[in-house]
Amino acid sequence: MGIIKIEKAGKNFSLGKTIIHALKGVSLEIGKGEFMAIVGPSGSGKSTLLNLIGCIERPSSGTVMIDGTDIGSLSPDELAEIRSSRLGFIFQSFNLLPVLTVAENVEYPLHLGGGEKRTRAEKVAGVLKEVGLERFSSHKPAELSGGQRQRVAIARALVGSPSIILADEPTANLDHRTGEEILNLMKDINRKMGATFVFSTHDPKIMNIADRMVELRDGEITFDHVS
Amino acid sequence: MYLRLAFRNIFRNKVRSLITLGAISFGCISLIIAGGFIENTFIQLRESYIRSFLGHIQVYKKGFLEQGVARPFDFMISNPDEVIKKITDHPHVVAATPRLEFSGLLSTGETTVSFIGQGVNPKWENQISTFVQLEKGENLAEGDTYKTILGKGLSEALMAKAGDPLVLVANTKSGAINALDMEVKGVFFTSSKAYDDRALRVPVEVAQKLLHTDDIQTIVVLLDDTSETDAVIAGLNERFKKDGLDLEVKPWYDMADFYTKTVDLYKRQFFVLKLIIGIVVVLSVFNTMNMAILERIGEVGTIMALGTKRRGVVTLFLLEGLILGIVGGVIGVASGYLLAMLISYIGIPMPPPPGATIYWTAQIEMVPAIFAFAFVLAIVTSVVSSCYPAIKASRLEIAEALRHNI
Repeated sequence: MGIIKIEKAGKNFSLGKTIIHALKGVSLEIGKGEFMAIVGPSGSGKSTLLNLIGCIERPSSGTVMIDGTDIGSLSPDELAEIRSSRLGFIFQSFNLLPVLTVAENVEYPLHLGGGEKRTRAEKVAGVLKEVGLERFSSHKPAELSGGQRQRVAIARALVGSPSIILADEPTANLDHRTGEEILNLMKDINRKMGATFVFSTHDPKIMNIADRMVELRDGEITFDHVS
Repeated sequence: MYLRLAFRNIFRNKVRSLITLGAISFGCISLIIAGGFIENTFIQLRESYIRSFLGHIQVYKKGFLEQGVARPFDFMISNPDEVIKKITDHPHVVAATPRLEFSGLLSTGETTVSFIGQGVNPKWENQISTFVQLEKGENLAEGDTYKTILGKGLSEALMAKAGDPLVLVANTKSGAINALDMEVKGVFFTSSKAYDDRALRVPVEVAQKLLHTDDIQTIVVLLDDTSETDAVIAGLNERFKKDGLDLEVKPWYDMADFYTKTVDLYKRQFFVLKLIIGIVVVLSVFNTMNMAILERIGEVGTIMALGTKRRGVVTLFLLEGLILGIVGGVIGVASGYLLAMLISYIGIPMPPPPGATIYWTAQIEMVPAIFAFAFVLAIVTSVVSSCYPAIKASRLEIAEALRHNI
């Protein structure tokens, strides 16, 4: 059984009097350790699908199971619990907290789970080393380049050792070369740590790296290819 | 982490936070200055009443308070020296002096007016009536006979000045009419114009002679500290009871009707002021927190996506309100203290209060309770006004909030 199992998931939004069907009965199973890309044009439902997997939104219909838990019946606090314990997030705009240093940003998810200060510091140092930013731990995000910021975001996503890491267009705000470095870093982590990676992208480079590619169009899966 | 985040968030928009801190501090300063000013007014008004004529405590023969107005001579203290000795034994008593009150007519030969007279012991009375000020001539002194000092209004009505002869006419204890030739020694004024318009003072022995009595009516007691009034009353009552003395006592606040009504009025006005200041602080912090949320919708989305629960978001924004309140409160209380010291050093020239004639200088009283109230108000209003924005932030749709980051 996959770590993520989606069955006939639909998601509707109301825009004034109009109902938008962002996802139309999508079914998808993602196995542990997969490195999977969701591709498709803008408005195809990629972000909505990621939001469902990320427990940020609940489906309007169908079921979304994360590690065997149906998220449709969970309260906002229970969803928050799953997000902090089992999921890691990488955002298109990095979404670092500007008032915190690099190390504090990376440490943030660990605070939500508690734990000793020393253990947290060791974990933070470990992941910063993993992404090659150990020298920048006391810098503020504004002092870093785009690529470095995204590395901090990857470190933050990794620090709690989540089983699933979700990335919404992680290379969209980076130049070609930096984007490639980030993708290689993610692939490297996927290989070493065995975490499941699911990311949405427009980036054609992904074709060479992803184990599996799912294409969405108008809220429906039109292509599912395992390489 | 929330504390660190809250603290740094406050100082990321320095200008806005400074304006908010300014509003909170200004609220504290206003409360401290206004409260201290009002308190000082109360104290000065209270002390002027006490030290002009009331004293802190008045001691009478039992029954005088109920029936003394109609039959004053039936409720006289016949052994004043013995009673005064017992009263002055009490540790907080500074002085106790006998008084004999009477009324009658005062005549220059050409003009006659009614008066309210007080027979006083000049030696002790001058210690108690420190707010009785001489405008012309001299005050009564020990050993004076057939000398009187007149209230300013009374002297003006008679057109009498120091050295002028007068005739004092009053009913004796038995109801007969008696008259004494007197000489004006001085003209006095107090904080009460109504009193000055009708009052005169003579040595108590003269009053006793005029009324054909050896007794007195009242013993006026001055204390070293007004706040000890109730404790001394309890002590005196116990002592009188123990010694079998048929006496009753009345504190100054039961006699100073104008004072207690003024205090009530001012207290209500001060309450309205507190309310207005509270609302100003609430609106100011509310605005700051709302602006902070509008600016940080994306960040709220991020921390919620990372797993922060709703109560975590509420905690974060309430902490920001709390820190603003504490910092604003500390600045406000410290500045309020310094400003109060400065104002008190310079003094505020004040016109006479209603019914009074004396110009006075107001200061800012340092009242610990007002400082504590201002500090607590700063914190409470800051936290309360952060509640709605905090709850609003915690209810944001995460996906919608995250879109603000792009």
